[in-house]
Amino acid sequence: MKNSLQRAIAGIAFVLLSLGMSAHADTLDDIRKAGKIRIAIDMAIPPFGMTDDKLQPTGSDVDLARLLAKDLGVELEIVTTTGPTRIPMLQTNKADVVVSTLSITPDRAKVVDFTVPYADHPSVVAGLKSLSIKDLSDLDGKKVAVVRGTTQDTDLTQKAKGAQLVRYEDDATMALAVASGQVDILATARSLLPAISKKNPARTVEPKITMQTNYLAIGVRKDEPKLLAWLNDWVKTNLKNGKLAAIYKQYHGVDIPTQELLSKAGN
Amino acid sequence: MSYKFDFAFLADKWPAFVAGAWLTIQLTILAIVLGFVVGTLCAIARVYGQPLLRRLVGAYVEVIRNTPLLIQIFIVYFGLSSLGLKLSAEVSAVIALTVNMGAYTTEIMRAGLQSVQRTQLEAADCLGLTRLQTILHVVLLPAMERVYPALASQGVLLMLASSITSQISTEELTATANLVQSDTYRSFEVYMIVAVVYLALSVLYRVGFWVIGQILFERRRRLGTSL
Repeated sequence: MKNSLQRAIAGIAFVLLSLGMSAHADTLDDIRKAGKIRIAIDMAIPPFGMTDDKLQPTGSDVDLARLLAKDLGVELEIVTTTGPTRIPMLQTNKADVVVSTLSITPDRAKVVDFTVPYADHPSVVAGLKSLSIKDLSDLDGKKVAVVRGTTQDTDLTQKAKGAQLVRYEDDATMALAVASGQVDILATARSLLPAISKKNPARTVEPKITMQTNYLAIGVRKDEPKLLAWLNDWVKTNLKNGKLAAIYKQYHGVDIPTQELLSKAGN
Repeated sequence: MSYKFDFAFLADKWPAFVAGAWLTIQLTILAIVLGFVVGTLCAIARVYGQPLLRRLVGAYVEVIRNTPLLIQIFIVYFGLSSLGLKLSAEVSAVIALTVNMGAYTTEIMRAGLQSVQRTQLEAADCLGLTRLQTILHVVLLPAMERVYPALASQGVLLMLASSITSQISTEELTATANLVQSDTYRSFEVYMIVAVVYLALSVLYRVGFWVIGQILFERRRRLGTSL
């Protein structure tokens, strides 16, 4: 009994110690030393992260992560995450970086660092074709589906006080809620609408209001200047050579505004 | 350790936690009460009913006890809605939790019913009591008293399991935690608080079950002995 207690204490002490140590190490060095980069990706956000018909990871964030690992010369380990756990994954050192439709917001910037943006990401209020929604006040008294903790959730909570927000844990559950008829209106990324409509073509949704355009960036733990600088260079290089645009075009069918993104990056 | 704890967000967010805990209490007490009624009726049917009825109840118990609660919740919320029956997340949650609690209660109460000695049933028969009178006046209360600790545990387990109804957008305690966490990014602190709240709720439920037990089981209250 006493022995196992001692072992438990030693175990806890070891965990605490390793937590403290890893927080002070340099992640870029660690990645190179391990020969492996752990990238957190939400695998339930088509077409960013999803599984193909052979159950292999695919999507624009996945391809970006693969390209990143290849250019860094290390192996890629995908750490599957969800919307609400993306940032905790970084904070608790379960992932080295987050590439998971992470929009740059001032609140998030307080707890993680962002690279320069790699894509734009307009979010919209969408609904069934039969509905007439022109501005946010048309949402009063109506059920609007969002994913908990996303920028759409925060935005609508502040700007559409009359709307009844129905919060789901991830995009897949929200999509199911729309397809199964639980909700007729949702606020999400424009990029997600085709996949949602495909689930139940009888309930095809179309964009009604563009709320705001966010910019997606790679999330990095605070105080990692070397890793951040390397990633910033990498994003800029691959925006210029068109590789990122090609990935985006392949999965989303639209072009990313490369010049606009580069100007935001200060080039 | 480099992590700095910061509970400052509680000043703003505590009403959200209270609201979340209150919804958890409402959902689970409803489900426990309804589930108890369903389970007791099913247990009586399973022990004293016709063979066909026994099989039907047996199938219900096995299906529910051998499938995940999350799947049951999804079937009620998404499945029924696909068929055109739109229930709100809260109603779906109560239905799914009731069905789940009912199946476990059936098995627990069945054990209680079968533990009543055959001689007591024969005595009731000799006194000319009908089947229904025997069940109501002779069997039910002692049966329940014997399995009461198991029933109380199942009630607490259901309260803890209700956390997964956050998946279908009920704004209960866990959903509140996820919301506050995604708002403040203080995940460690938020989940610690919620763990403490769940612990407090568990203690509250156990005390509640104890009080109900004291009121219900007069014999135990007087003698203080187990059956």
